[in-house]
Amino acid sequence: MARIGVFVCHCGENISATVDCGKVAQVTSDIPGVVVSVDYKYMCSDPGQTMIKEYIEKEKLTGVVVAACSPRMHEPTFRRACGEAGLNPFLCEMANVREHCSWVHDKNDVTTDKAIDIVRTLVEKVKRNEPLMPIKVPVTKTALVIGGGVAGIQSALDIANCGHKVIMVEKEPSIGGHMSQLSETFPTLDCSQCILTPRMVEVAQHPNITLYTYAEVESLDGFIGNFKVKIRKKAKSLDEKLCTGCGLCCTKCPVKNIPSEFDQGLSNRRAIYVPFPQAVPNKPVIDKEHCTYYIKGKCKVCEIVCPTKAIRFDQEDEIIEVEVGALVLATGFDIKRANFFPEYGYGKYKDVIDGLQFERIASASGPTLGEIRRPSDGQIPKKIVFLACAGSRDPAKGIEYCSKICCMYTAKHAILYKHKVHDGTAYIFYMDIRAAGKNYDEFTRRAIEEDGAKYIRGRVSRIYERDGKLIVVGADTLMNAKTVEIEADMVVLATAGVASPGAEELAQKLHVSYDQHKFFAEAHPKLRPVETNTAGIFLAGACQNVKDIPESVAQASGAAVKVCGLFSNDELTRDPSVAVVNRTAPPLFSTCVGCFLCQSVCPYQAIEKEEIKSRDGKILKTIAFVNPSVCQGCGTCVALCRSKSIDILGYTHKQVYAEVDALLNTL
Amino acid sequence: MDKLKQLAKELLSNNQVQIIVGYEEGTVGKARPAFISSPDQADTLIYDERCIHNLAVYLTQHKLPGNTKIAVIASFPVMKSIITLASEKQLDENFIKVIGISKDNNIIEFKDFADIERYINQQDLSFTPEEQALIDKIDAMSMEERWEYWQNEFSRCFKCYACRSACPMCYCTLCITDFNQPQWVSVPSHKLGNFEWHINRAMHLAGRCIGCDECSRACPLDLPINLLTKKLSMDIQKQFGYSAGQSLTEPYALSTYKPDDKETFIR
Repeated sequence: MARIGVFVCHCGENISATVDCGKVAQVTSDIPGVVVSVDYKYMCSDPGQTMIKEYIEKEKLTGVVVAACSPRMHEPTFRRACGEAGLNPFLCEMANVREHCSWVHDKNDVTTDKAIDIVRTLVEKVKRNEPLMPIKVPVTKTALVIGGGVAGIQSALDIANCGHKVIMVEKEPSIGGHMSQLSETFPTLDCSQCILTPRMVEVAQHPNITLYTYAEVESLDGFIGNFKVKIRKKAKSLDEKLCTGCGLCCTKCPVKNIPSEFDQGLSNRRAIYVPFPQAVPNKPVIDKEHCTYYIKGKCKVCEIVCPTKAIRFDQEDEIIEVEVGALVLATGFDIKRANFFPEYGYGKYKDVIDGLQFERIASASGPTLGEIRRPSDGQIPKKIVFLACAGSRDPAKGIEYCSKICCMYTAKHAILYKHKVHDGTAYIFYMDIRAAGKNYDEFTRRAIEEDGAKYIRGRVSRIYERDGKLIVVGADTLMNAKTVEIEADMVVLATAGVASPGAEELAQKLHVSYDQHKFFAEAHPKLRPVETNTAGIFLAGACQNVKDIPESVAQASGAAVKVCGLFSNDELTRDPSVAVVNRTAPPLFSTCVGCFLCQSVCPYQAIEKEEIKSRDGKILKTIAFVNPSVCQGCGTCVALCRSKSIDILGYTHKQVYAEVDALLNTL
Repeated sequence: MDKLKQLAKELLSNNQVQIIVGYEEGTVGKARPAFISSPDQADTLIYDERCIHNLAVYLTQHKLPGNTKIAVIASFPVMKSIITLASEKQLDENFIKVIGISKDNNIIEFKDFADIERYINQQDLSFTPEEQALIDKIDAMSMEERWEYWQNEFSRCFKCYACRSACPMCYCTLCITDFNQPQWVSVPSHKLGNFEWHINRAMHLAGRCIGCDECSRACPLDLPINLLTKKLSMDIQKQFGYSAGQSLTEPYALSTYKPDDKETFIR
């Protein structure tokens, strides 16, 4: 017979303020099978846990129901306590009378009645619980870092320096990400490339890191500790072993007019190209879309000039399969371009540019070699208007959030401009100056006080061209919303940061959840900010939301330590709540009829075929088999199975049905 | 149909198959399923417009001794049933020979299941105007009227499960109505129990029903239960461009998703 203990927690006043905990304990003690039912102020405290343990031993309990908070909070605590008292941890269940009851209702009798009902359902469930044993799985101590920006680089280096193997996948021909495009970095104004490129080189030379550039993740199978990843190495049309990176091909290629992605379209590149001089690896790729040979079938100039005969026109994409134990997603972000803004001319004015383009203009390695010259005619602009919050914090544009980095980089732009064009004036339209960070506010003050940036609090309604000038019309909300008109030579939009293109597709491939803006979602906004909801996959940098460099690097190191923590175990224990296909007596063997529709519905490819054989090896029946080390216990197969042949351990049909029954019978 | 009889005799005398499932003359002028196991019985085989039973239902009977090869006379719905059953891994094509009968009553000897699949995809798979009209009639009702209508229809059901027996897609060896741990569907034929059964039946056939209407023909009370599964088939065809019995390899529409799905609600 079941001997169930019910332990009702007051949670200080969190529960007892609206629920009569004493009454809950008293009423539930009458449920058949309940031998003890008590209430206590803090069940999760040491004396509370000790009380549960003592009752388990004294009353020889066969099941425990703790009526307290959400199982997400303290289920592990109480299950551990039960385990210590000799009761199988999976015979302990949480009745959530806090989040599901006391927090969401007023104090009255009905609230207490609801709490009693919740306990009742769990008592009926726990009566049908079976002891379960955790599943043990081995760990592959190799990490996959997706994305080779500063976050990916930091994570990869940290993991590799802890002695683990790392595979880095970058979709562009070079690692470096957005940081390599930046001129100087706030708040110290040190050169971005000068601090980044050594790290890029370190990645390429690290004995523990395998780098695949111009490559993308094709698919992901498996589970924490045991992922199988297919990587598509896009054809570079190059034998990398032979190529010395001399760059002769890039200077001889006749296709010269392709807008450079690295320079944000402000300069041109060839069809065979290295994105930028400091690229890692410093070896070219052929852009098949623009290469004359791939379009028309002749040219091959690069092949002719190559001194080591490294060009391979017949190279095809290669799919490689790797096994890894953990993933770090560091796929970064993108920004909205000027063509997103009808009010600012849809990008038709050449001198209305975005922040990233200004970075290239201000960069010593950029198209103007660091001189501030405007794109249209190469003149030095004497008046620049910077627009913070272009798109950000604008529900009408579908971007409610603050892009966070724009206040700082706009201040930086104004400073850099003033340093290079001494007689120039920078105007900045802003909504608020958000400069929370170490030395950040000092930095924006410096822009205003030392470098004379003119901050105007207000929005810009439109920009139009008149006599070769860009007329910026805005309002100054600190001057009674007076209309301000500035005749500018150039306008820089601090456009909103958005999720990188392809983020959604990647999230779906990896089974990682994402928010409405397609940024990857963390497992808990405060307490698990670097984990995703998929165990073994971690987040670093701006793929989660827009971040500046220090934050990205900090999170990347955080993700790295999560990976190293995971790798410190030789095997992992997993929750045994997995799906199982039932077995019955012959001649049925199982109610499964082997239609295998569950196989296509399983998001984790956990379902295989099992042949039931007689003693002489004859196949009697073929049924579905759920691989317990792959199954994540999502229950999708359970819902699809017509013959109800699949159960999730710990949440069997019998248990859930009993819970529902317990609720309905009280009506 | 002498050709059919001739073919049947050949198959049986060459021992290419051991049983032929077809039709024979029944009582009161009706045709009935026939199971022919010797060449001299083959003369009883008939095929005409009265032969409407979906014979595919007999192919999943687990009572035949191993290595028995069966030939089946397959009208168009039977072909579609065979493809669906094969896609659900219920049929082994090495043991089943399909003798197709085209709409203009010609015999088609199919080499394999893929051959049937090709044939099906050459045919018109859209719903007939008559079928559409039946569904439109129900669709036109208000929610209350529809509730009333089905309540009325189901109130007559006495749960003989003839619909289940007649349906080739209802091949579970233990149907959920026969479970009692837990008792998913209440046993007596009262209002709740009848609803539970018919809703379960419809949902279990959603996107799998090939539309032979055998369920309502088998029903001794002539309940129009075929409309439930037909409506679901229509919806699935409209939403996912998929109809059951069309493909051996395409995964079941309700068990997959595509990243480029036109609907955004699922994301």
